[in-house]
Amino acid sequence: MRIKTLWLLLAMLVASLALVAAGCGGDDGGDAAGTGTEQEEQEGGGDLAAEQVITVNWGTEPPSLDPGLATDTTSSNILTNIMDPLIKLDDELNPVPYLAESIEASEDGLTYTIVLREGGKWTNGDPVTAGDFEYAWKRTISPELAADYAYQLYGIKGAQEYNGCEENCDALRDEVGVRAVDDRTLEVTLTSPQPWFPQQLAHHSFLAVHQETVEQHGENWTEAANIVTNGPFRLETWEHNSRIDIVKWDEWRDADSVTLTRVNGRMISDATTSVQAFEAGEVDVTSGLPPEEIPRLKETDGYQQYPGLGTYYYGVNVNTVTDVNQRRAMALAIPRQSIIDNIAQADQLPATGFTPDGIPGFDTINPESPYLPPEGDMDRAKELMEQVESPKTDINLVINDSPGHREIAVAVQAAWSELGLNVNIRQQEWAQFLEAVSPAGNNVDVYRLGWIGDYVDAYNFLELWTCESGNNGSNYCNEEYDELLRRVTSGELESDEDRYEVYGQAEDIILGEDGDMPILPIYWYTYVYLEDPSIQDTFNINTLSQIDLTKVQVRETD
Amino acid sequence: MTKLIIRRLFWTIPVILLVVFVTFMMMRQIAGNPFRTSERVIPEAIQRNLEQKYGLDKPWYIQYATYVKNVATFDLGPSLVLRNRTVNDIVKTHFPVSMELGLYAMLFAILFGVPLGILSALRANSWFDYAAMTFSNIGYAVPSFLVATLLIYYFALQWGGTFNFPTSGWNTWESKVLPTVALGLGPMAYFARLVRGTMLETLQQEYVRTASAKGIRWHRVVVVHVLRNSLIPAVTAAAPLLGFIITGSFVIEQIFAIPGIGRYYVTAVNARDYSVVMGLTVLLSVLIVIANMVVDILYGVLDPRTRDART
Repeated sequence: MRIKTLWLLLAMLVASLALVAAGCGGDDGGDAAGTGTEQEEQEGGGDLAAEQVITVNWGTEPPSLDPGLATDTTSSNILTNIMDPLIKLDDELNPVPYLAESIEASEDGLTYTIVLREGGKWTNGDPVTAGDFEYAWKRTISPELAADYAYQLYGIKGAQEYNGCEENCDALRDEVGVRAVDDRTLEVTLTSPQPWFPQQLAHHSFLAVHQETVEQHGENWTEAANIVTNGPFRLETWEHNSRIDIVKWDEWRDADSVTLTRVNGRMISDATTSVQAFEAGEVDVTSGLPPEEIPRLKETDGYQQYPGLGTYYYGVNVNTVTDVNQRRAMALAIPRQSIIDNIAQADQLPATGFTPDGIPGFDTINPESPYLPPEGDMDRAKELMEQVESPKTDINLVINDSPGHREIAVAVQAAWSELGLNVNIRQQEWAQFLEAVSPAGNNVDVYRLGWIGDYVDAYNFLELWTCESGNNGSNYCNEEYDELLRRVTSGELESDEDRYEVYGQAEDIILGEDGDMPILPIYWYTYVYLEDPSIQDTFNINTLSQIDLTKVQVRETD
Repeated sequence: MTKLIIRRLFWTIPVILLVVFVTFMMMRQIAGNPFRTSERVIPEAIQRNLEQKYGLDKPWYIQYATYVKNVATFDLGPSLVLRNRTVNDIVKTHFPVSMELGLYAMLFAILFGVPLGILSALRANSWFDYAAMTFSNIGYAVPSFLVATLLIYYFALQWGGTFNFPTSGWNTWESKVLPTVALGLGPMAYFARLVRGTMLETLQQEYVRTASAKGIRWHRVVVVHVLRNSLIPAVTAAAPLLGFIITGSFVIEQIFAIPGIGRYYVTAVNARDYSVVMGLTVLLSVLIVIANMVVDILYGVLDPRTRDART
């Protein structure tokens, strides 16, 4: 009797599992594999392949595809391809009118008049109007939406007040300096002259949203079934944490210029698996390569490298490491080129200033700091160190726990030990690390960070070191420096060249001959990708890590 | 039996409340700002807006009370980081995937591990036994993420021509094989060793010799008498093993890009997504409590001695 029960139970278990397996096993759901391109020897610049379909690895699930709420690169890249931004950046990062037909600034640089092209449409047939932009921007800065990136729009008059309002919010909302004059004209009033404003419009925070859809579906408006977009591609499938597929939208105003018909997207976040998926031919492009594999991958056909607009630096807490000569010595001792060649290994550029190469005006801005020699200068560092009266010898170096940072810290630790410094490396998990370094407390002497440009102007980099900046982790405050940056937004500078001059002076204050050295820049970023040979010449990342899928074409490879 | 079940069910609630409370306090203790994802500092006004929106500006006991009330009505709240999704939504979409993976891994472990253990015990100290136990030891010692990566490297990449396994994903039946093996290998090894051990012990018992001496066919002795008693420890091991499979699935899901609940759990803790962490903790505690209860019941069914002692 009892044995029978046991066997019966087991049999039932097996039977039910077989049923489950049968139910689940047959589900295909649109397999991601199969790209229709060949994996043979590369022959660039050939004919177009018959099937213009690629598979990309988006990496992680975008936290949100709402232009008002998106903050990360994945969301940004998808959004700028399914929506129609007012302007795009060309290869030299100059603003090129896109949905906007023209952008004109007033004499005093405070007001911009943006005229939209004819022909902008939403996927449900409605025309794109200036009112859509007014609605979207005001929504992003509304306190109810609580958008992380509301601050991107703080350059607009009244935006910060409205965003921070506790009462009387409706009145403040009407005071915000963005107004749809008519269906095709948008008037924007800024808080101060900001010559980089047109370039900022390329950022996804400035995209329009379809008001009716947002109001009808609320939080779910970005699901594939509900979303309404206006760009060259539209969102076809979004299986959370699994795939995002976008397809060409034939009714986009310039659809003829788009070659790709479909972009399948996987979400493989593990770096090793993504490389394996690329090598198995399951994806055509992926990034976020494991650092230790880069030397091997460099030798393969698929390896591509792009300069990035970002700086990897060590910040120094000027409250604890008080002697400027010590900071200069620490800067001189760091063997930047060796770190790049042996640890980072992606041909990054050794930093000779804070603002990276690629920013307009770089030649004027860059201070070519005497304290940042690429090879390091240990002799001079020791000389300077001797001039320090009471050096801080116990240094707490705080880094976060992503791959690569520890190795660089160890290299720096070895260099600084030659100066008689006893460096203690503390590696922390990301969220706690951020708490520890914003700004650096008394138990943090040196911290590691990176800064990637939001928009293409040195102001975005240099404003970090003003007294009031929340991102000033070094507790650095220099009135002269602040005054220089104030001049930039005062309107008294006439041309771009003048502005670059001022930026150059600012860089001199922090990193020049008499530089205060609140930071020790190490290198300027590069982005590393694996790309299938069939798309290598047309798939290009710009320095802001953006991809323009309208330019990608799949070539025949034979 | 029914009394047992009801008592156990009754005790579930305080246990889960305790788990929720401890998780709540721990998440608040580890500091970190759920709204700050990048190195960019969040302006004060925005931080305030966000805290107001998610009720984080209230004192902790109010937050806790609100949360418990919501859980009672099955509303696990919105995600703090994934701005357009609710935790209920996340659970509904992704939990079945993890369940499936866990089930397959468990099945794999049982279907391969138990017979392996039985055969090893029956052929104790033969070459088969040594081979099987060595294999078990390796399977138990090697971490699942290493197994996973090796499996992908060999079966999906190197020998991709012969086998048709993709490197990642969870849609076709081929894509489910490697993750199942990677996750199930450790538990399989554990079962094999456990069953072998208890069977060897049982085989020494007096009643086995008696049965054999009575002339009962060896096959019947093993299946009817020995097996039943040896499997009891294996059943009790199944419950904690479920915990192992759940936590192991976090890693496997990450490596194989499987859209399960494990990936969310890990990213949510790092991102300080309080509602997702709390919601998933509640879910997993309920699961483990139920699993333990099922095991206890099964134990009662299999071993009559406990049945009388318990009730």
